[in-house]
Amino acid sequence: MCAFQSSRSGNVTGVSPRKSERIMNLAICLLMARRFIEKSQIRQVVEGYHDLSDSAFERTFERDKDELRAMGVPVETGSNNPLFPDEVGYRIRRKDFELPAIEFSPAETAALGLAATVWESATQAEQAVTALAKLRASGLDPDPARLDALAPSIGAREPAFASIWEATVDRAPIRFGYKGEQRRVEPWAMTYRRGAWYLLCRDRDKAEPRMFKVARVDAAAERIGKPGSYTVPDIDLDAAWSSLAPGQPDAEVVLAIRPGRAAELRRRGRPVTPEQEVPAGYDALSVSYARAGDLVGEVCAHGADVVVLAPPDVRRAVLTELRATARGAS
Amino acid sequence: MTSADQVNRLLALVPYLQSHPDAELGATAAVFGVSAEQLLDDLNVLWYCGLPGGMPGDLIEIDMETVAESGRIRLTNAEYLNRPVRFTPDEAMSLVVALRAVRELAGGHLAEGIESALAKLERAAGAGTPTAQVAVAGGSGEIREQLAEAAAAGELVELDYTDAGLAPSRPRVAPVKLITRDGFGYLQAWALDRAAWRTYRLDRIGGVARTGEPAGEVGDPPEFGPGWLEQRPDAAEVTLRLKPEASWITEYYPIRAVRREADALEVDLLVADPAWLRSLLLRLGRDVLAVLPAEAAAGAREAAAEALAAYGTE
Repeated sequence: MCAFQSSRSGNVTGVSPRKSERIMNLAICLLMARRFIEKSQIRQVVEGYHDLSDSAFERTFERDKDELRAMGVPVETGSNNPLFPDEVGYRIRRKDFELPAIEFSPAETAALGLAATVWESATQAEQAVTALAKLRASGLDPDPARLDALAPSIGAREPAFASIWEATVDRAPIRFGYKGEQRRVEPWAMTYRRGAWYLLCRDRDKAEPRMFKVARVDAAAERIGKPGSYTVPDIDLDAAWSSLAPGQPDAEVVLAIRPGRAAELRRRGRPVTPEQEVPAGYDALSVSYARAGDLVGEVCAHGADVVVLAPPDVRRAVLTELRATARGAS
Repeated sequence: MTSADQVNRLLALVPYLQSHPDAELGATAAVFGVSAEQLLDDLNVLWYCGLPGGMPGDLIEIDMETVAESGRIRLTNAEYLNRPVRFTPDEAMSLVVALRAVRELAGGHLAEGIESALAKLERAAGAGTPTAQVAVAGGSGEIREQLAEAAAAGELVELDYTDAGLAPSRPRVAPVKLITRDGFGYLQAWALDRAAWRTYRLDRIGGVARTGEPAGEVGDPPEFGPGWLEQRPDAAEVTLRLKPEASWITEYYPIRAVRREADALEVDLLVADPAWLRSLLLRLGRDVLAVLPAEAAAGAREAAAEALAAYGTE
């Protein structure tokens, strides 16, 4: 034995090496099986099971099997004997276990290499790196230098992100507080837009699809059901986004904008000839908006470059804010 | 890390080491995103794994002495594990989302290549992979392709640029990188007329004119991470005391510190551009309770007075 084995009891992460060995040996045993193997046989041949008492073996074996399934290894249950279907055994079918062989072109390969660097959240970064390592194990050799000029990134700073992401992965129903209300939902999909994460899900209490902004979820979501306990319908996320995204434009405001200024508002607007008088040196545009509060803030931010012509209530709201700023806060 | 994480990795490590004979310890650890110590632990676990029965010839063989002496890993007697295990649902979703983020920044032919890679990846991951999507406001694909090509070729370009609320300009720049931050795509470039690094929001670039002129050596742009403002020597710290209604700003802007009280919150911001702070204070309006230092609010006060004048006598 060389020096490395002597450190066996004290490893770097505190994971039990015996447990990893046992699960690994169980996976190999089930993968090599041509027929379903009964539990009693597994107990005899897989290292780590024979020293256990009957009840300890039952518990350990069930847990190990669940762990394999949770990591996506398809442990099948069945019987070899159609006359005695009660004689249950286990196996792993190779074609369900192995990553299918895929050929990637050099451009595709480079993009995959770059993808592994995108996540800012350490947990998801690890997941993407392991996925890429699996592709490398199957022969992929990415050269991200080909895409030197691209450096995309995805953040996940929302406190509730991890709990909602995991529930979406596991298809587990969850409960969370949102704007002072308790929601019970079945997560379907997540989407990252304008630098923020949104959850598309079925709201159990409203019995209809909803979109929630993850940053506004009060705290980590709590699971209220088992993984895989509902089915996710086929989703067109773009369509769902345009119909369910919080705040769709449904109101119009007429603005006077100085030429060449407020590019964002100009892009969303169309030129109009309003009833009101347009101040000299301004163009009139009609702009649609979703939330009055956001629009008022956006208009104020442009100072004298943007003046509200109509409707009167938006005009009044902008004037109130501007007066407060002109007075000064303290 | 759990045993499940370790076993999942081992089921990829065994085929990897067989298709990469004499793989180097450190490089292999990097491929799997773990430390060299962790990889040694992994090898020590594998040493006890193999075909059922546990006879000496059944076990996976690793030449641990060579690992110790030369840092090279030779793994044999595991031909039955020559293909990696499938992706876990979390791995598939994390990699697919990341690839979509790459696609959002790529343009033209490259974007098509990524589309096809995504389709293959989703097929490999299998049906029932959870869905997640990414959308970046990144302007037109054609402009992104032009910029990426010019960056790769080290070529100067002229941008047709409209800054937030400012008149259009035509900066001459050496494009270096396309990046995303908070849902927007940006170009990082060396601006010749200012002799400084600048970031340009991609959706505000109306056109790119290639000049065919070499950009020369411009070096690396500053890190555009969460703390990128910190590197600007002219950035100053400003503290805003706000009504609780304004807590949305912590979701939208890089904030150094937040202190929440029952009826107010205080945020510390780094401000490099007085025009940016002026806009922010105008936007916040009545939600601003106090600004420290007080003179930081002067610009917004003047701008508000000017705006009120534009409304006439109301």
